[in-house]
Amino acid sequence: MAINVNTVYQTVLLILNKEQRGYMTPVEFNKIGTQSQLEIFETYFDSLNQQLRVPQADTDYADRVVNLDEKISIFKEFGNATSISSSNVFNLPQQFSGTPFISAPTIPANTTAATTQYTIQTATADQLSNGVVQVFQVQTLLSATDYTISGTTLTFNTQPVSLGDAITVNVYPKQFYRLGQVLYTAGALPTQELQRVDRGELYHLLSSNLTSPSTTYPIYTYEKNQLTVYPDSITNGLSVSYIRKPLPPIWDFTGTSQYTFDPPSSCNFEIHPNDQTELILKILLYAGVVIRDPEIIQVAASQVQQENINQQS
Amino acid sequence: MPIPNGGLITETNRQYYAGAQQFITSSTASVGQTFTSTFQTNLVFGDSDPATNGYNLNNFKLYTSADANTWTELNPTSAIASTTGTNTAVIVVVGNPVNIPLTVANADILKDMTVVNASTGVVYGTVLADSSNPWTSISCNITTQIPVSTDLRFQFVSPWTEANNIVTVNASLPASTYLKIQMNEDTLWDMHGDYSYTRLDDVIDNFLIAYVGAGKLIPSVKRTDVIFHAKRGLQEFSYDTLRSVRSQELSVPQSLSVVMPQDYVNYTRLSFIDSMGVQHTIYPANELTLRPYATPIQDNEGIPTQDSNNSNLDGTSRITKDWDDNNPKKISGAYLNDYNVADIYWQNYYNGSLGQRYGLNPETSQRNGWFIVDDRKGLFGFSSDLKEKLITLEYISDGNAYDLDARIPKLAEEALYSHIIHAILSTNAGVQEYVVQRFKRERSAKLRNAKIRLSNIKLDTIVQVMRNQSKWIKY
Repeated sequence: MAINVNTVYQTVLLILNKEQRGYMTPVEFNKIGTQSQLEIFETYFDSLNQQLRVPQADTDYADRVVNLDEKISIFKEFGNATSISSSNVFNLPQQFSGTPFISAPTIPANTTAATTQYTIQTATADQLSNGVVQVFQVQTLLSATDYTISGTTLTFNTQPVSLGDAITVNVYPKQFYRLGQVLYTAGALPTQELQRVDRGELYHLLSSNLTSPSTTYPIYTYEKNQLTVYPDSITNGLSVSYIRKPLPPIWDFTGTSQYTFDPPSSCNFEIHPNDQTELILKILLYAGVVIRDPEIIQVAASQVQQENINQQS
Repeated sequence: MPIPNGGLITETNRQYYAGAQQFITSSTASVGQTFTSTFQTNLVFGDSDPATNGYNLNNFKLYTSADANTWTELNPTSAIASTTGTNTAVIVVVGNPVNIPLTVANADILKDMTVVNASTGVVYGTVLADSSNPWTSISCNITTQIPVSTDLRFQFVSPWTEANNIVTVNASLPASTYLKIQMNEDTLWDMHGDYSYTRLDDVIDNFLIAYVGAGKLIPSVKRTDVIFHAKRGLQEFSYDTLRSVRSQELSVPQSLSVVMPQDYVNYTRLSFIDSMGVQHTIYPANELTLRPYATPIQDNEGIPTQDSNNSNLDGTSRITKDWDDNNPKKISGAYLNDYNVADIYWQNYYNGSLGQRYGLNPETSQRNGWFIVDDRKGLFGFSSDLKEKLITLEYISDGNAYDLDARIPKLAEEALYSHIIHAILSTNAGVQEYVVQRFKRERSAKLRNAKIRLSNIKLDTIVQVMRNQSKWIKY
């Protein structure tokens, strides 16, 4: 469930080229697309806050809180926080650094008869489990329900019908965006949610006899991208729900004289398809700035504004 | 019905009544098998060796059985966790690794077992690897030289451990054998009747689910605030609403004083127990005497004197001594002192005039004795007629002394929710006063209901009391 990057690019070009207004290069599109996607993504959280204060209609598809949650759910992640030197200080769920994008070949490289398992090269098991993985069969992006990845082994749920097709595995790092809930699990004891406190509260809580943190009611501070948990006897079993940033869209191409869209090396917009219109309008708005056409800016801006009014009224 | 099926009861009948949970081990013999306790009471683990002090901290025992009929406790010397052997007529020297030559093949020796002298318990070292064919040479880390032909025992120092309600058996469990977690008797006492209470943790969680969130009167609240108000509520309820379940059986020593219980907040009643086991209320000696908080030593001018640290010198109380030495019969006016047994046939001819004296002060005309609270020393003092008598002290705590106390009778659960919601709303800025008042009234009403419920007034009891007054009541 994503917005096809080629569809967006072609639509933007179509509107821009109407009456020979101008052209947007793939590089410009990728940068503006990233910016526009992030802008829309940012509005989710403010809109959710706004809608939570408004009574909602408990009817299918009409509850705006549910609709917004559906948009945000695409970016919801859950991972384990790792203790630093067995202390009560934890790092956030691991995100691999270095190359922002890994194109990992497989062995066998192509779909092979009577073979459902393919070993992924280049990317590590850690990167695969902590990254966003996209698998292409030739030019087609496969649904995540078509395969499973365990360690560095890609297993197709059914034998690929078409044989000899190139398999491409793309791994993108998950970038931490917002911290959600922090949970503590120890053995067979019930899972406990940790309460976030700031340093001012912390000292009062630690010295309070009624509300001092316990393994039943633990607390944490969040500083320097690290979680410090109290009571300090907690040194493992911490997991974190968080929101990651959307992957930057990439419209990549093959050829030199003529740009031909290349799906395996491109990356779609990740935001909800519901926002496709707004996304195109926002890109057009920035495109108007790029090609210095006030008319485009004006039309796109008024359209975006109208859409926002409809969504929030 | 005996099997928990999604209701509030999560323990099986056997877990509740017998305090036992039974497992079947893996179909293949292996070490490190884990077993998860589903008791509502958390397991407490100190040590698995009965010879250690930590073992006494355990609130359960672990048993194994081949037939689920005859059970053997799993400890370092039990057959499952240990095995025996004798080294040959060769001294085994200190070293790592060193092979212990055994006279008889033994396939049950496992890695990490400790090598000890079977009769003296002297520790010789640790087994480095599972015994293997031909089973007579055991690779060990030997720290103490083993004499020739010594009877050895190979055992796990800690055959099992427990953490967070998961029991891990380090010893090798035979295939498809039975294992049982058996709660200790005092733990079982705590478990029995537990259903009439709701744990404070559950109250807090339920409150956060049901009363806090978008579209509710409390859109958000810090959990620590809820914990604080819940615990404060429990304290307040403990003082005047909840049943007083705390009591101690004590005997009054020669010093005529007993120490207040560790979780004491206030007393509800002190009684002495006669030879028939019937209790007789002891009354406070508030109006008769007191235990002074301080007894400064005065100089000739009446001014308190100080020690080298500039603090007042404290002497012994003469009031206390005089009170301890007196004969309470002279205060109560009782002329017989032998009939303090609730036996109606004890009376004799001379007791006929009891209770018939005129001009008595009812407050002091009782023969049960007096007690006094000594706040300075944290003691209860007693009148001399109670010396070496058996007494009971019923008192209230605040419900927060021990983890087990942090629970509320279900009959008062709703009152606690109302207490928390009122406490939060009344301290939140921007909440309309009429809303606060609404919940104040609700709290008051629910607390009153809780008091009535917990006072345990039963119709049959009332009827019986009324019969005592020779009045009939239809019911």
